[in-house]
Amino acid sequence: MSYHSVPRVSADQRKRRTKSVQWSAYAYLSPAILTMCALSFLPMAFTIYISFTNWNEMHFLNYQFVGLKNYMSLFSKGNPLAIAFIPTLLWTLIFTFVSTSLNYLVGLFLAILVNEKTIKEARLYRTLLIIPWAIPALISTLSWQGLLNQNYGQINALLHIFHIPPIPWLVDPFWARLSVILVNLWLSFPYFMTVSLGALQAIPTEQYESAEIDGASYWQKLVYITIPNVWRVTIPLLIPAYSATFNNFNIIFLLTGGGPPRLNTQFAGYTDILASSAYKIALQFNRYDLSATLSVVLFIMVGIISIINMRFTNAFKGDD
Amino acid sequence: MLLRGMIEDMARVNGVRHSDNLRAWIIRLVLWIVIILTLAPLLYVVTASFSSSDALSSASLLPVRPTLDNYKAVISAGFLRWAWNSTLVAFVVSFIQVVITSTAAYAFSRMHFIGRRYGLMILLVLQMFPNSMSVAAIYAVLAKWGLLDRLWIYILLLVGGSAFNIWLMKGFFDTIPKELDEAALVDGASNVRIFLNIVLPLARPMLAVIFFLSVIGYYSEYILAGTVLQSPGNYTLGLGMYNLINTQFAQNWGLFSAASLMSAIPLAVAFTILNPLMARGLTAGATKG
Repeated sequence: MSYHSVPRVSADQRKRRTKSVQWSAYAYLSPAILTMCALSFLPMAFTIYISFTNWNEMHFLNYQFVGLKNYMSLFSKGNPLAIAFIPTLLWTLIFTFVSTSLNYLVGLFLAILVNEKTIKEARLYRTLLIIPWAIPALISTLSWQGLLNQNYGQINALLHIFHIPPIPWLVDPFWARLSVILVNLWLSFPYFMTVSLGALQAIPTEQYESAEIDGASYWQKLVYITIPNVWRVTIPLLIPAYSATFNNFNIIFLLTGGGPPRLNTQFAGYTDILASSAYKIALQFNRYDLSATLSVVLFIMVGIISIINMRFTNAFKGDD
Repeated sequence: MLLRGMIEDMARVNGVRHSDNLRAWIIRLVLWIVIILTLAPLLYVVTASFSSSDALSSASLLPVRPTLDNYKAVISAGFLRWAWNSTLVAFVVSFIQVVITSTAAYAFSRMHFIGRRYGLMILLVLQMFPNSMSVAAIYAVLAKWGLLDRLWIYILLLVGGSAFNIWLMKGFFDTIPKELDEAALVDGASNVRIFLNIVLPLARPMLAVIFFLSVIGYYSEYILAGTVLQSPGNYTLGLGMYNLINTQFAQNWGLFSAASLMSAIPLAVAFTILNPLMARGLTAGATKG
């Protein structure tokens, strides 16, 4: 607990000699804030505005304000957007939770393995395992699309050697979803491994030394020293990771294109998450009104979850 | 659990050193399997790049009738131009990104201003807004003003501050002892001098992290590129390669593989060398407690 109380005391001391507001701070902040306003917040305001209009291909030049009509269509029975919404939301939540947790756990597990002091060549293993992170995701995801192709992909060719019949990787709803999770694991575990390794190496060696004097076993040290320390350091990085997965339309767009398609609605395929569905609705179907509405709903969800998480860890708050 | 029991039994019977040895070998075995599973797909891409185009579904890691045709074809399709455009964009944008990130992080780490307590949190949450619509909006605005298909416009559109980067950088700045600033203040140094001469030089590892993560990200950006850029002379890698595989996948798989390797290998080598630095940078902020 000691590490919690130390910074808090110094924060209090600092508060006691609080200086007056330094106006020059805004000059330091302005390049970041101004570019964010132009490129993030302006489109955001525009999206919120569009979500209350009927701007789409049919009303491209003469769109009007329609109030909450778009939001209602999310929940009205028989509407193609409503049919897509609930199953896509469920899959988005499953994908976010399963994929991010799996990536983190595999990364942590491998970090503990390559941090093993008795293995002399551990550095080499570490280097080899980082490679997926070093390749731009566009290139590797498109490559996976090729490798997993049912008819001429090398993965099925390899399985054929072991007499396993071809698997419909990107064609069947179940296998397509599994592919998305596995490819995301391949893309992401090196990041979590790197972060966990940094955390492992920051653990003070005294903790291990005193545990050794007390006769602790390898497993006791792992469970009582290593895991809690790594957890404490990496949890603030896990929160942005969850929201990044929630919005990770890239992997869906590049690997499956959201497919296989659903029969009862064109707005979202079986692997589409809400973010990729919003893109599809805007860019393929030119239904900007519906895409904007979906974006706003998505943002409200991810925003609330993130704020709860951030308050829970306190890592993102500035000490005044 | 079985493994754990086994290892503990071994330890009791043969003493600690023997169990260490056995554990090391079990870990090696697991790591070898993981490494093979991780790298085999990449080796297939290497194989495909050297194979003639009709040898698609071979499970062999050795190319059938090895050839350099794919490399020649992809270079004549304009690969070098795409790579140059992407490199230019990635380096310019990442450099600007590092500058705007470090000034903002300095304010959050060292200065007192209204909005400091929750400012970063609010920016982080606001940046989670999905930008599916911004592409349509940007296209509409650029088309109206006749600014489409210009590389410098594309660069400007990518130069946005990132709250996540600011947070990472602020975490690193917080680990630099404040006593250094205070000593400099006593000597009459201004904020600008403290930032440029004390904080920035000490934060070099983190500057490298932000720069490099940005380069990797922008190097293969394709969404905005596809919106803004139109003529093949302005194509970036992301756009060129996306078109390559999206138009005629089966015929272009070899070409795509060759382009992948030529564009990814220089980055991958630099990245792997810099990685230990990045591990320290990414966790430094979080370990400050």
